[in-house]
Amino acid sequence: MLEANIEFLKREFFKYYYENLDQLVPPPPIKNREFGFFLEKGGGMLRHKYFTSLEEFHSFVLNEVPLDVYVSAAKYEDPGNRDMQEKKLISAELFFDIDAEPTVSKSEESAWVCPNCGRYDLGMEDKCPACSSPVERAEIVNENQLNEALKEVKKLVEVLRSDFGIEENHISVFFSGNRGYHVHVDQEEFINITAEGRREIVDYLLIQGFEEKRTVDLLRNRGFYDGDLKGVMGRVYRMVLEAGSCEKHRTSFDKRRILKQINQAIEELKVRIDPVVTIDIHRLMRMPGSINSNSGMVKRRIRLQDLSSFNPLKDAVALGEEETVLRVKAAPRFNLGGKSFGPFKDEEVELPAHAAAYIICKGLGEYVRR
Amino acid sequence: MGENILRAARYPFLPEAREFVSQHIDLSLDSLEKTGSEAVLKRAVERVKDALILKEVRVTPRHESNYVREILSFPIAIILVSTIANEYIRRIYSLGESRGAYKRMLKESDETLLLVGEKLGVRGAMDSNNLIRIRIPTYLNLAYVFHEHRWKLVNRIVDRGYVWVNRTEYARLLQIEINNYVYEKTLETLPVTAVPQSFKESVNTIVETWSKLEAARPGHAASEEKGENPPCVNRILRRMEAGENTSHFERLVIATFMIAKGRDIEEIIELFSKQPDYKYSITKYQVEHLAGLRGGGKRYSVPSCRTILANGLCYPNENCRGVKHPLSYGGKNAGGQYRVS
Repeated sequence: MLEANIEFLKREFFKYYYENLDQLVPPPPIKNREFGFFLEKGGGMLRHKYFTSLEEFHSFVLNEVPLDVYVSAAKYEDPGNRDMQEKKLISAELFFDIDAEPTVSKSEESAWVCPNCGRYDLGMEDKCPACSSPVERAEIVNENQLNEALKEVKKLVEVLRSDFGIEENHISVFFSGNRGYHVHVDQEEFINITAEGRREIVDYLLIQGFEEKRTVDLLRNRGFYDGDLKGVMGRVYRMVLEAGSCEKHRTSFDKRRILKQINQAIEELKVRIDPVVTIDIHRLMRMPGSINSNSGMVKRRIRLQDLSSFNPLKDAVALGEEETVLRVKAAPRFNLGGKSFGPFKDEEVELPAHAAAYIICKGLGEYVRR
Repeated sequence: MGENILRAARYPFLPEAREFVSQHIDLSLDSLEKTGSEAVLKRAVERVKDALILKEVRVTPRHESNYVREILSFPIAIILVSTIANEYIRRIYSLGESRGAYKRMLKESDETLLLVGEKLGVRGAMDSNNLIRIRIPTYLNLAYVFHEHRWKLVNRIVDRGYVWVNRTEYARLLQIEINNYVYEKTLETLPVTAVPQSFKESVNTIVETWSKLEAARPGHAASEEKGENPPCVNRILRRMEAGENTSHFERLVIATFMIAKGRDIEEIIELFSKQPDYKYSITKYQVEHLAGLRGGGKRYSVPSCRTILANGLCYPNENCRGVKHPLSYGGKNAGGQYRVS
């Protein structure tokens, strides 16, 4: 990335952090957390950092103005140790990641850049028309895609509450600042679950390893059961029952059709989390309140009662309004902060700083001047 | 003689047994020699031998009636095992104690079973349907060792933080907890000089028994070569060497990895020989199958780092950076990016 771009981003990021330092608070206790930073675009991650106080952490952020800030979901006795085993795990919050599916619906909502020959254009291409190397698509996420992901978040919160019995004040939902949502759980007895146990939670949410046969048997013999079946099995059972295809007369019990319906129910009921993230106890997660350098937006907490009203593309905008001139290569139309921008192609445009940062973060334009 | 005492003799790892020991006997190292009267010491050796030979420590009513000896023999057996400081003996002893306890627990009344569970920190409550309800985190941290589908949380009745199990399943979970507890205890090491002379003879008896059993096994294979294997593979190898029960997936990783590294089939089979359920013929068949020497002739590939991680078996070190596949560990890609969310 151009020097001018980095300078612009760092200036804007600094302003944000300076004014919102009180929002940049890692999960406690700070001295037991490992931190990670990207200081330069495309550079390696600075890992195994630790801080003994919030002030020390804040002054690091203001001095270095990192492009991305990460913190461990785990607490360690020795977070600065470079050997994972030697860090000595104390416990780790349960952490779930739900991303919007990157399905681009319309060609006007996408753009591409060829990393080989530098060509770019609006629209959808898999390969560069000039040199036929694979192109990099700009990831513009729209409201519909985010809403689909939000549905999964709501399913997750419901399962965490009703099946796992996790109290609401121990569930925190965040917009990741770019393409999806993060859910953290810090209820005491759940932070001590081993990686193997977390694998089971993942299988539960994704409904993997489910014994269909037992549900088939229950459906065949329904009437013996009062329907008060709890957990995933109960949900699948009721959904198939409500679909109404296992009529009273048992002679018409069609096992193939029932199995098909069970699988449909599973598709509908499963919570689409990224399994690897939840199982990896040592994973670093984007720090709440920090800026996501893939968009210039902020990872922002959403109160559970606000899940439906939260508008990520508006409420997570962090950077300022100051008019900024930039040279855009090709940028599709996008919504940000309640306004619509673009599409742009080979033009110099003047945009508010947050929209300019968005285009620069996506690698679709270059900073010119204020 | 109260019921408590009998229970302590039957389950000497319970807190009440520990209390009995500390109330009645000064178990400081100085007085160990006096405490370790010949009968207690003999019984302690018997416990370990039972575990080594039968893989189950038997406690009969006759043992229970001699409750002082019985209760005391457990901490003494722990001292003997931790003095030997052999990983395999630690494993097999904890397995033997827990397996014996499991069988005894099955014969208990509901009340006693739940009481034992409560004292072990695995609290359960009996519901009207004769099923026992326990907290999900407690369940997950114990039940993951079982590989059958019915133990999966997704196949369980789950509600408001609880999961339901039947009596036998509850006892199985307690067995795992006991196994972990006993194993942890045998890790506490004593300074060699502090071990009384009379104990050393008992230690020798146990080591002799073990050596005889070992000699009956085929020779050791050179399993772990430092630095060459990725940490995930070495970790499984260490677990296998110690006789820990590894999962189906862990065994698959080892077999496919060693096949890919061009190891000899017999050498690979040998790696599995300390598994509690080891059978030469079955292992041979399976390894040959994975190597593509049987069936369709398809050679199975080594799982990727992502898959290993997804199975909770990734313990990366510095050299794992940028490595996406166990076989490329130590290759030229090292030094890439870390994973983040």
